[in-house]
Amino acid sequence: MNAEPARGAVDRTIRRISAFFLVVAAVTVALAVISVRNISGARAASDWVNQTHALIYELDGINLTFQAAEGSLRSYAVTGDAGDLRAAREGLSALAEHVEVARALTRTEPVLAARVEVARALAAQRTEAARTLIAARQAGQAAAAAAILGGEPWLSAGPAIRAEVDTLKEGQMALLAARDTEQYLQAQTTRWTVWAGVALNLLILTGVVWLIRDDHAARARAVQVLEEANRDLEIRVVARTADLAAANATLQTENLERRWAAQALEHQLRYNQFIVDSISDLVFVLTKNRSISRVNPAVVHATGWEPAEIVNRPLGDVIKLTLPAGADPVPRALAEGHDLRDLPALLGDKSGRQHPVLCTLFPLRDGNKVVGGIVIVRRAAGEMGTS
Amino acid sequence: MKKHILIVDDEAEIRDLLAQYLGSAGFRTTTAATPAEAFAALERDAPHLVISDLQLEESDGLAMLEKIRVRLPGVPLILLTGVLFDQQVVANTLSQKVDCYIEKTAPLSRVLAEIKRLTGA
Repeated sequence: MNAEPARGAVDRTIRRISAFFLVVAAVTVALAVISVRNISGARAASDWVNQTHALIYELDGINLTFQAAEGSLRSYAVTGDAGDLRAAREGLSALAEHVEVARALTRTEPVLAARVEVARALAAQRTEAARTLIAARQAGQAAAAAAILGGEPWLSAGPAIRAEVDTLKEGQMALLAARDTEQYLQAQTTRWTVWAGVALNLLILTGVVWLIRDDHAARARAVQVLEEANRDLEIRVVARTADLAAANATLQTENLERRWAAQALEHQLRYNQFIVDSISDLVFVLTKNRSISRVNPAVVHATGWEPAEIVNRPLGDVIKLTLPAGADPVPRALAEGHDLRDLPALLGDKSGRQHPVLCTLFPLRDGNKVVGGIVIVRRAAGEMGTS
Repeated sequence: MKKHILIVDDEAEIRDLLAQYLGSAGFRTTTAATPAEAFAALERDAPHLVISDLQLEESDGLAMLEKIRVRLPGVPLILLTGVLFDQQVVANTLSQKVDCYIEKTAPLSRVLAEIKRLTGA
């Protein structure tokens, strides 16, 4: 199995897992950013709600202190009691205080500030009217004080202040309700965002787990394939080794057979050589054109010629047939392949002397073909060796 | 157990070739160049078969095999020689003295086949 594709697959897996973890990290960062922004928004909304509740509290305070001061002033106007006067003054003081706090709370909101300013102006008018009433009553002018209480400005100022304050309060209450709804929706959005992010991360992590499992399974399959390939290779190697061993054994056997055959041939040649060399008669081996190709030691002994000196020379240089002229039967005998026996001849030795001998010719046959001849020379009766 | 073959020949190359060939064929071999060495070897370790050349330097191989036959009557004897015998001579004489006659011109596989036949290997 090739290692490069496996490494490539591993690299792809690592890249995919890294990409998945990058996505998980991005989702986590996005969730964190969204959550922090929502928390910041919630904190700002909380500040706004607290301020709105404070404003509502102050508006309620305006209504309550206005009514309390109104009641104390009426009692004082009737009874002239100092306790009522003190209560009225405390009420007016508290009213002024609530109005100022409400002004401070709406300072950054021009619309609300304008309405609070209207309420403050009405309250200021009522406070001024109250001072007039107190002054009249302290002067003992009870009728004048009663007239102030029953007059149109006094009677209309009260509902106007209450109406203005109630309008402001209802507006704030409506804003609170809207803000509650918005907060609820924002909280829901945050929950969904967080859970969606968590779910997405879980989904991605599940994908990573699946990818790792898949990669692990692929590796296991690759290992299995590799092991099977190794086993096959080992089997093939064993088989091939056995084949080679068998071929080597056969080769060795054939080599031994060849050496044996060569040795047997050499042995036979040597043995034949022994036989020829042991013959006491002179033996000349001829080619088909009657040149000497080989002699035995008896020739060397009888003539003094070394083999190198007479081999390849015509037989006639050494042996001359003593037959009538033109009656040389050797060429015909070699051509036809028949024997010539006991032909009279003269054998010349190396010193130039001639010795009468009897020659017998045997054609050498290779199958049906005459390839040469053998001349066996015997000394004629009464002749001895020349050594 | 490997069959033990005693090889007697005065030519070292013949002895080595036969020993190598028979060794690769699963036989255990002992070699001897002379009859004296051969008798010493069979005294030490009796062979399952003796194969000998006819012409030994110190003696005649056939005579040596006749003595071995007396010494080890049940052991098959093979005469191995380059001398070409007349078939009638082989039939009348050699076959009574040895179990098998093989010319050296015969292939080694023939030698092995005869050894296997005679030893039952």
